[in-house]
Amino acid sequence: MSKQYLTIHTLDDVHPTDIFHLAPTPTGILSCSGASSIQFNATTTSDFPHVHTFPKEHIAGVHHMTASANGDTVVSKGFAGEVLIWKIPPGTEATDDWVLEGKLTTAGSGGFIWAVALSADGRYLAGTASDGHVSVWDLKEEGWPLVRSYFTKNSFGTSVAITGEGELVASGHLNGGVYIFDNQKGKLWHSCQGLMLVIRSVAFSPAAKLLAAAGDAGIIAVYDVKTGDQVMTFTGHKAWVMSLDFNATGEYLLSGAYDGRLKIWSIENRACVATHGETAKCLWCVRWLPKAVAKGQTRGEMFAVAGQAKSISFYREASGS
Amino acid sequence: MSADLSLRLSNYAAPTNEANIPVAETEDSGSRPKAPPRRDSQYVLSRIEYIFESQVDALLAENKPLSVTLQIRRAVKPSGTQEDGHSKVKAIAPRFRKFEFPGKSEQEAWRYSVILRVLEIIHEALTEDMIFTKREIFYRDPALFNQQLVVDRTVDDLAFTFGVPRQLLNVTATAKGLAAGAFTIHRQDKSSVKGWLDREGTLISPIGENDTVEMPDVEWILVIEKEATFHSLAVSPFWETIKSRGIILTAKGYPDLSTRAFLRFLSSHAPHVPILGLADFDPDGIEIFSVYKHGSMALPHENAALKVPSLHYLGIDSAILSEQGNARQEQGLLQLSLRDRRRAMAMLRRAPFVEGGKEPGLRRELQVMLMLGVKAEIQVLEARDGGLVRWLKEALKGACSQNG
Repeated sequence: MSKQYLTIHTLDDVHPTDIFHLAPTPTGILSCSGASSIQFNATTTSDFPHVHTFPKEHIAGVHHMTASANGDTVVSKGFAGEVLIWKIPPGTEATDDWVLEGKLTTAGSGGFIWAVALSADGRYLAGTASDGHVSVWDLKEEGWPLVRSYFTKNSFGTSVAITGEGELVASGHLNGGVYIFDNQKGKLWHSCQGLMLVIRSVAFSPAAKLLAAAGDAGIIAVYDVKTGDQVMTFTGHKAWVMSLDFNATGEYLLSGAYDGRLKIWSIENRACVATHGETAKCLWCVRWLPKAVAKGQTRGEMFAVAGQAKSISFYREASGS
Repeated sequence: MSADLSLRLSNYAAPTNEANIPVAETEDSGSRPKAPPRRDSQYVLSRIEYIFESQVDALLAENKPLSVTLQIRRAVKPSGTQEDGHSKVKAIAPRFRKFEFPGKSEQEAWRYSVILRVLEIIHEALTEDMIFTKREIFYRDPALFNQQLVVDRTVDDLAFTFGVPRQLLNVTATAKGLAAGAFTIHRQDKSSVKGWLDREGTLISPIGENDTVEMPDVEWILVIEKEATFHSLAVSPFWETIKSRGIILTAKGYPDLSTRAFLRFLSSHAPHVPILGLADFDPDGIEIFSVYKHGSMALPHENAALKVPSLHYLGIDSAILSEQGNARQEQGLLQLSLRDRRRAMAMLRRAPFVEGGKEPGLRRELQVMLMLGVKAEIQVLEARDGGLVRWLKEALKGACSQNG
């Protein structure tokens, strides 16, 4: 069984350099790049208009960003090391009027922070550190205290994921390590059998039943979160896998690679159902758009990809397939 | 140094021998033993600054002469033989010599001036993070120093006085830079240096005002980060091309002033010849390239005369990662160390790598390096079909056609 996806729009002039990360909100998509400003484009109309430019707070560029499900809280991580928290002040009607709340104090989290991920409820922020630490901060509490800090085997944390209300955190590391932590108990839940080579992305399925991890091995490993066992292996990418994302129902996994190829995998059929890639330029980030948006506007589910091509491309499932 | 000649001699004694006498309980140490100072460049700087301050104090105090005391090296002679047959080295009491200004003779005043001038240059080298050769120091003030030997001896005496190796003064013995290829330099003294004669390369010594260069056949100039790459090209079959149509040059890492001046000399002589840089894909490689092109961020006053803005980055860069369309098979990639990461993070915050700066392409390379966590040395090309030479031929062809 294969599925058909069409490129419905490409935004070419949002950023002057590589786009490193995307974060969808209910009404649009945030993007960050080697430039100092985060950009926001609406996804509620078919031409995806640019509606907001963040202030130039990240002098060295931005490589990670993450948003709460409602889009009110945004966290961005700059190349100079800074972690910034942005919020739409309560009571504001606009859905694109983020204000810089402050800079996260990352002391005690080991080394410097690289990847960050925010729980869907916007309360817990997970981050990986250069020395292998994986930490969690509570953004609801005054002063954004560090509430969890786990130590792994001293290997640079390249990627991180957190479940809806912060119950679990997963991390991927330079040495191929993949870990799942239980935040309620405050301890390591599973040290998964890694892929030997650098892990570049980890992603939980929406109900947190599965964890996907991938990187330089070109293979995508899918783990059962409850047991930590590897239950599926997807092979087919011919280059480093840079980014992973489950769709809203958990039926499909989207992956993007260094050679510009993206693939969609059916969890049920354990197979690749679509492959795209017009350029050989690295896809730094791939993200499904929230289903509600897609439903409101179109019949098929949508996703966005971005990378070295400096553009954001939107794909939609072709009707009738 | 122009000092008030009316200053009279007195018994002023400069602090002298902390370097060589074990630190005993000094007057201010009370019951706590003082940790011996760490012998790093900071230590040398503070010693030099102390000497400068003493001079100022002496100038301010009416009756104090200017003076500086050096510890003079003595040849160590074996004295007698121990029972086990090993020659025994007699412990020699350090010998100190104080030089005053104006001093007892013209000679002493001159020695004092030489020492202060050398200290001033070393101080500059240390604060600006530059490496000077002894030759470069001589050319700073040939009228004062009179001959090279004077500089050599003073530098070595200072290193000995501070109890540090000469490298800690940021002074090297000889020229660092090497050049080879289709050029001839005609020196003012009628001697000439022919770049094609020696595959090993010619040491780059300072270019005099009236020196000229002849390079009619040169089609490109290649600035190479590392000496090893320079030599591997010189011994390869590519040497035939280099000696007839190109120039290769290296400063063995971060460039000294002579090498930068030489490149600038070549570029102003033949502005139409493309100048290309070959460095590792790592933060140091990019920074070294940037020093040749834009100058050292620490030495803006020297940069105007030394920078080579037409220098073009040939590689290697992140493009080598995907050349074969299969990043998985890339051999020879190294993990970025934490030091590399911190360095790249810091570089992204300043010129010429800042947003809107002069090197947007290299800004991207630094960001990609951090994103991927990998670096690669030039040698990575050797593992490929045709090796470094084939890659270089292609790259030169591309770069020269762009320029032409």
